[in-house]
Amino acid sequence: METELIEAYYVPESIKLTDFRQESIQVKGRKYIVKYPELTAEHIEEIGASLQANRKDYLAQLTTNEVVDKIDQAIQLWLNPNYRLRRIADALIPAVTGYDQDMVRLELKRYMRTFRKKELLRFLDEEFDQPAILDDFRPRKSGGMSRAYGPNTIFHLFSGNVPGVQLWSLIMGLLLKSAAIGKTSYSEPLLPALFLQSLKEVDERLADAIAILPWKGGTESLDNMAVNWGEAVIVYGSNKTVAEIRKKTPIHKKLLSYGHKISFAMIGKEALTADHYSDTLHKLAEDISIYDQQSCLSPQCVYVEQDGVVSPKQFAQGLAAELFRYHKKRPRAKLTGEEAMSIQNFRNEHSLKSLQSQKTAVYSSKDDTAWTVIYHEEPSFSGSPLNRSVHVYAVDRLEEVADHFQQWESYLQSCGLAVEPARLFSLANMLGAAGVNRFSPIGEMNRAKPGWHHDGGFNLMELVRMVDLERDLEYGLEKYDSDVE
Amino acid sequence: MKEISIVITEKVLTFIEKYKNGILNKEEHDQEFNKLALELFSYQFQHNMPYKKYCQVKKKNPLTVKRWLDIPPMPIQGFKELTLACEPIEDAEAVFMTSGTTNPDQKGRNYHPSLKVWDASMKHPFKQFVLPDREKMTIFVLSPAADMNENSSLSRYLSNAAAYFGAENSQFFFGKKGLEMEKFASELRKCEQSEEPVMLMGATFAYVHLLDYLKENGLQFQLAKGSRIFDTGGFKGQSREVEMEELYKQFHTSFQVDRSLCINMYGMTELSSQIYDQSILSSCLEGDIRLEKTGPAWVKTVILDPDTLKPITNGQAGVIAHIDLANWNSCIAILTQDEGCQTDNGFKLLGRIKGAEARGCSIAVDQLMQSALGGASI
Repeated sequence: METELIEAYYVPESIKLTDFRQESIQVKGRKYIVKYPELTAEHIEEIGASLQANRKDYLAQLTTNEVVDKIDQAIQLWLNPNYRLRRIADALIPAVTGYDQDMVRLELKRYMRTFRKKELLRFLDEEFDQPAILDDFRPRKSGGMSRAYGPNTIFHLFSGNVPGVQLWSLIMGLLLKSAAIGKTSYSEPLLPALFLQSLKEVDERLADAIAILPWKGGTESLDNMAVNWGEAVIVYGSNKTVAEIRKKTPIHKKLLSYGHKISFAMIGKEALTADHYSDTLHKLAEDISIYDQQSCLSPQCVYVEQDGVVSPKQFAQGLAAELFRYHKKRPRAKLTGEEAMSIQNFRNEHSLKSLQSQKTAVYSSKDDTAWTVIYHEEPSFSGSPLNRSVHVYAVDRLEEVADHFQQWESYLQSCGLAVEPARLFSLANMLGAAGVNRFSPIGEMNRAKPGWHHDGGFNLMELVRMVDLERDLEYGLEKYDSDVE
Repeated sequence: MKEISIVITEKVLTFIEKYKNGILNKEEHDQEFNKLALELFSYQFQHNMPYKKYCQVKKKNPLTVKRWLDIPPMPIQGFKELTLACEPIEDAEAVFMTSGTTNPDQKGRNYHPSLKVWDASMKHPFKQFVLPDREKMTIFVLSPAADMNENSSLSRYLSNAAAYFGAENSQFFFGKKGLEMEKFASELRKCEQSEEPVMLMGATFAYVHLLDYLKENGLQFQLAKGSRIFDTGGFKGQSREVEMEELYKQFHTSFQVDRSLCINMYGMTELSSQIYDQSILSSCLEGDIRLEKTGPAWVKTVILDPDTLKPITNGQAGVIAHIDLANWNSCIAILTQDEGCQTDNGFKLLGRIKGAEARGCSIAVDQLMQSALGGASI
């Protein structure tokens, strides 16, 4: 059998790691040995120092446009279906995460496209009037000049729920010319490491300002060292993880955190016409099924309006049928006992309710926990146990739903929306005030667009430090010019 | 009680009587167990309306169910949400309730029109598993008696144990102010001095408080040979987590009672029988300590795959379901939220199945509820 060695980490060329743990994974007659480094705080210190030096000597000297070009070149490699590393990712990521192979292949491909040059330029323009402000002082409309400095160093702490989300953060750091340590999760450490290999193929000196290191979450000595090293800290994951890192981070450091969020969908009666409803159902099932709802962009509740051609209850049944079909096409990952039991409990709770009242109904896969739809005649708001399980609430008017969100403001994320244009602003204003920070079409809920305000904030702006040259200084200095009249 | 209910309880009592000392002919037992289980299922399907509806949702009925394994197990949440009884609940002799730790307003209830079956089901296995080597002994109980908490099946159990098997000086050390440590220590010292074997009985977490007290006061005991310690319930977060085996080690230090004479009982309000470690039984019979749990001949425990709810192979962890023929008034088949795995000698209890956690930024309902209650996820 052919064997291939895969490093689930990336460190600059000058660093020599010696202790490793290996795992072997077989996919379609090919054997992969995945190597994980055994790390100590001293390693982090040594790697950190090397990254900082590499940044100073090279990355910090590049212009933003040069950085954009180099990222684009690496992304272009990934847009070739036969690219060696893409094929490894397509084979290994499903094996490591349990996600369906076709789903991973398709979503990765789509995802990579969002980092091409045109998207990166748009991303920069979205946040800076003139991205050159990252390279030099630029005039301001109000007079004077300003320059934006990214952090010298960023410590990224990733979660492993959705393959590739780490790239977003890493690329953001590169655009700011920051050295980076990316701590990956054992549940998906591969893609960031593979992407760094691609960057290395494009420009090794650039890649060597970044290290990708997997270690077990909550390992105090390593976390402390890395937090200490980073001028800024970006953390993804559960509220618990965020809170722990926040405790460790000194007050003067920038900390961006992306904790627990919940998304939902709203289907107006205009989308429930004979023409549209089947398409709406199909796309909604995709939103629920992609990456088994492990992304916070994926809906856990759906609000369906009365008075459409199909009733909310029929909609729930239709959604069940679509989830069934999607599962046939792209099966859900195998769950841990706890995850499966959580779905069983969820079903039990509601099927017991359905025995007492017609207001609740449970539609679910028969022989396993593959998909579950809970229909409620009375609107409310609740989470689901994920892994393709969802609430469908019947509502008279979508405008009435916002009241149910009061307690959950800080958890709300995306809203997938299917209503007539006339209702867009009234709903968006109302839900925006309730805490929602992104509206997307149904079927696109998992695919945030470049330049979006992640969890309602800026991406680059929040990390930079602005330096101002005042207007008066600019003119005042003129008099010291020995050649002045 | 309805005529049919009297008939069915008589059948259950006959079964208990026949198998009270264990199973001699396995094949015959299997057949009789299956026959009675199906009869009970049919009875419950007819007279327990919420259960009937539940079965109909699961598309199961007495015509389609041919094996006890196919009887739809009622999830234990059902004992909170529904009124599960074949006889009118107003006439029940007792109703046992769960402690309702997660939501005090929602307690699981198991109604007992008569405690005849419950008492018989308690008595014989207790003798078999806890006291295989003696008829009676001094019992010191660390948890409340039935008169203090009439809705607690454990209190009924402990009171019965003392009544059926307790020697004259058996006592309860639980008063209005809780555990009476001082009195307990001085009475235990008397047993030690007179070299009289004693059995301590109580909820697992009661021992944690007791051991703390003994340690603080520098008290240790050398209990007489044959003394034993019975605990039940395990740790469910009411007290600090101590691994069970660590607890048994501490029993040895504080009381000089060997592991072979420590026994854990696994009971549930939703059942009418109890399940035991085979520690005392196996060390009396065979001289080795078997720790797997097993129930009396009228209880079967199966481990199900959490994904499919079908039985899984020995050794794999899964969710525990019980079929308890003594649970004649509510549901004989129940689905727990406990995790276990089957072995050749019984099953191992691995603990409560924890709620699922999302792997990243998404939040699963269990975590969400916890955070809404001000719990761990902040």
